[in-house]
Amino acid sequence: MKLPRLLPASPVEESLSGRVFVYLGFGIGCLGVAIYGQDYVVPAVGLAIAALGHIVSYRGRRQKRSISGQALVASMVFASMAYFLADSVGAIFGGVMPQANFAILLVAVTSFDLKTRRNCYSSLWISLAILYLAAVYAWDYLFAVLAGVWFVCLAGFWAASHLRRLGAAFRLPAGAAAVALLAATGIGVLAFFFIPQPQAFPSGPLVVSLPTFSQFKGEIENPALPLVQIQGSTNTVDLRYRGRLGDAPVMYVRTGAPAYWRGLVFDTYSDGVWTSSRRGGTPFPPYVPARLLGPGPDHNLGTFVQTFRLLRTLPGVVNAAYPIESLYVPVGQLARDPYGTFHTPGVLRAGQTYSVVSYIPDLSAARLEQDPMPQFESGDVAWDLEYTALSTDARLLAQHAVEGHTATEYDIVTALTSWLQDNYRYSLEIGHVRPGVDAVDQFLFVDKKGYCEQFATAAALMLRSLGIPARLATGYSTGTYDPVLNQSVVRERDAHAWVEVFFPNDGWVPLDPSPGYAGLPATKFPDRWAASGIARLIPHLTIGAAPAILASAGFLGVIPPAIAIALVVVLAYAWLRRRLVRRRLRAADPPGSSDLLDLYDRLQKRSGRRRAPPETPLEYWGLMQDAPDEAVLEEVTQAVNEGAYAGRWPERARVRELAERLS
Amino acid sequence: MALAVILFFYAANSEVVWLYLLAYWVAALVLVSFVYSAWNRGFSLDATLAGIRRASGFDAEGLAEEVAQDEPFELDRLRIKITIGSPRGTRGPARAYGKVGVTSMSIAAGVVPKSGGHTEQLLPQPSRRGPVEMSDWWLQSGDPLGLFKRIKRGKDGEVALVLPRFVSLRAQPLVRELEAAVTAPRAGYGTEVFGVRPYQPGDPLRRIHWRTTARRGELIVREFEPPGVQNLGIFLDPSPPEPAAADQVARIAASEAWDCLRAGGRVTLWAPGCEQSRPDEERNLLALLQWLARYPKRSAEAGPPPLVGAAVAVTTKSDRRLLDAIEDVRTHGGPVRAWVVGEAALQSDIEVERAGLGWPPR
Repeated sequence: MKLPRLLPASPVEESLSGRVFVYLGFGIGCLGVAIYGQDYVVPAVGLAIAALGHIVSYRGRRQKRSISGQALVASMVFASMAYFLADSVGAIFGGVMPQANFAILLVAVTSFDLKTRRNCYSSLWISLAILYLAAVYAWDYLFAVLAGVWFVCLAGFWAASHLRRLGAAFRLPAGAAAVALLAATGIGVLAFFFIPQPQAFPSGPLVVSLPTFSQFKGEIENPALPLVQIQGSTNTVDLRYRGRLGDAPVMYVRTGAPAYWRGLVFDTYSDGVWTSSRRGGTPFPPYVPARLLGPGPDHNLGTFVQTFRLLRTLPGVVNAAYPIESLYVPVGQLARDPYGTFHTPGVLRAGQTYSVVSYIPDLSAARLEQDPMPQFESGDVAWDLEYTALSTDARLLAQHAVEGHTATEYDIVTALTSWLQDNYRYSLEIGHVRPGVDAVDQFLFVDKKGYCEQFATAAALMLRSLGIPARLATGYSTGTYDPVLNQSVVRERDAHAWVEVFFPNDGWVPLDPSPGYAGLPATKFPDRWAASGIARLIPHLTIGAAPAILASAGFLGVIPPAIAIALVVVLAYAWLRRRLVRRRLRAADPPGSSDLLDLYDRLQKRSGRRRAPPETPLEYWGLMQDAPDEAVLEEVTQAVNEGAYAGRWPERARVRELAERLS
Repeated sequence: MALAVILFFYAANSEVVWLYLLAYWVAALVLVSFVYSAWNRGFSLDATLAGIRRASGFDAEGLAEEVAQDEPFELDRLRIKITIGSPRGTRGPARAYGKVGVTSMSIAAGVVPKSGGHTEQLLPQPSRRGPVEMSDWWLQSGDPLGLFKRIKRGKDGEVALVLPRFVSLRAQPLVRELEAAVTAPRAGYGTEVFGVRPYQPGDPLRRIHWRTTARRGELIVREFEPPGVQNLGIFLDPSPPEPAAADQVARIAASEAWDCLRAGGRVTLWAPGCEQSRPDEERNLLALLQWLARYPKRSAEAGPPPLVGAAVAVTTKSDRRLLDAIEDVRTHGGPVRAWVVGEAALQSDIEVERAGLGWPPR
């Protein structure tokens, strides 16, 4: 039975230059994998095989496919798939980007069968997929350049294939093609910067479920903050010691929204040391879908994806924006502690990546003001209200700080936060805590300066003393956020501690009492208009300012843009008109006439005496026999006479020659 | 645009910001391609005869040089030059395709300079008598990526005129022919004015044409053709039954005309319903061959048969108007005869020679 054709037949691709572009596109994908995946063997082997395959394909492009040849290609495809499975499950070949390597081998194998234009397109698209897989590791502008070059290869293939189809050689008007390419790039860049970028619903990571035989063996250990790891136990934050804050990058975070990357949470404070009172963890698979984590917050504004790439070995804590909707960490198993933080069995190695989808709850001031005061009894450990370590003076100070602002929980929280930010100084240069002295008291009454841990600890305990549940959260602040790449570079110095406050209707809300930070560091969607990100870099200028001013002017606001548009139109019209008139004049003028008369005018200026109106050119020349340019003047006079009286104006080249002699 | 939309959709969903840039770039590329295709226009198209590959057996001996070298004859292979130009400046890419005669041809160039680009192609078939025309030509232009294209109809036109073959139907040159070969270039002593030419020493003073001499400022003398030079009318069948018969009629007529001109005579071509050849081209072989190349060409300005001293009819059948014209010449004392292509019987008693469709006729 003859099967119906699903697709129309694709013509044989005759363009050699088009095939070169296909190969270059593949090369770009391989380059991306080599640069970002630091995997060189498979890309190099793939490129070599593909080069051979392209030669074979081009030479045999008009030959009919043989069954044996098809079977060979198919077997090689299956071999590539076997490689992929072996590398993915057992990490036999290192396990670095197995999908990209599989795609590379797929392109290399199918290069032997690139006969039609459709085959070439398929090869190019898979090259794009390779590039996209490399993007998992790509965190810089160079990658955009690679992607741009790939699209140039695509355009090159289009052009080469089209010209070959026409029967023309691969040549184009260089100027026009360059202008077109630059215009497209310019328009694309302008659109990128000046068109607000919509945000749809981000999808979670694509997960291929593969069998795994490793089990979760770790415990909840290792706080996320390397700066406090010099002394103290592994699951504590000790205010008596601190590490160094370097500038070295810790991780890159590609994120849809800048946020605090929360790690461990501590609820028990004693003798200057924070510990976690609740132990144990619930096991989860490496991919935790939303259904395993329960429903999101009622006041959810949306979700956003973060992809973390670690640049140094970190404790096995999944730093991310919380609350989490779903996540994928390429480890054997995950565990979630009672505070909602996810842990990995071992340390997270440099180079590892993981993806998290987080909710963005509505934590606006207007909403939080609606929350009632929590009704718990003071000292309830279960609800993070234990504050016995706080001295009596500190408790009185807390009451003083919020005096007059006790209407709602939100008022109290903001009042205390503002008070701390206003009256205490942020400094990393603080002395050691003396033995027998509480670290909070030393911060509040002696040093009156400190860093995030001092501020957060003081705020947490003072809030507890006011009957508000609070706990210490640690992790990293947003880092250096790039609105164009949607990426944060998180460095050692971004390690941070803040407070989580319990609101009855909204759960645990982050609060940052450290000076220089937003008091309510709620995650918000950034303005995804790239230009607004650029504008933020310019002090006192925002892109939206001008439209806002115009909008406030009402109907009259139309006038300035109208004037601007009219000005542009008039200027453009004048420019076009002038151009047209000059072109007409040039067409009407005999060749060289205006240039010759200009030259004649210059000669008169140089000789120091202009020709009087009654004088003929010959009379003028006769009187200027002693002029320094007499020889040129004679020839120019003859040329002017011939032009004016006989209509035989000289060629432009002749006028240029005379002018050169003059200079 | 679909690619741009996919990229845009994925950018919005994946939060990979540079995908927006790529999406806008692809969309901009489409937009720029549209503008480019609007700019890439104004092409011109021309086809000319670039060369002739003579058919074997062609005898150019005795033909005027310009006829032998430049004019195509039946069975010659023609090399056609197609030129695509861009009067507005350098443009591209562009393609033109259509037919020359019955052969499909095309030309394409990525860059079309202002001076134009061209291609040459040898027509595969031996040429047939008559005009070689370019027909059904189209000009295609657009953007380099092939996203947008403009197709414009090209102008049809005549590329070349293939002349009929001919031979001398006389085995030996006539004495008159030899005489004419000597006397025709000179001012003769016949009765009909042949033309004028500058005075040469030895010319009789009474031959000086004083009016022209006064006008030109130099001595000009009249030339008289020698007596006995033939003024031959070749009357052709107005409607041959098939193209091959028409070709044969034209060949015989061309051969008769060739023999007459070589003998110093003049030839007028005529067919009932067709306009006769022009009087000022009676001695112009090329013009006569061109007339025959277009034969049978009906004309609304067809007139009566020309007044000639002798007549030859070349026909495939017994056509009354043709025979009447021949009889008229005979009535005035001129010698007449006829060629009949095929087996048709003429309803006349004039001398008849018969020919088939083969060439030469005998």
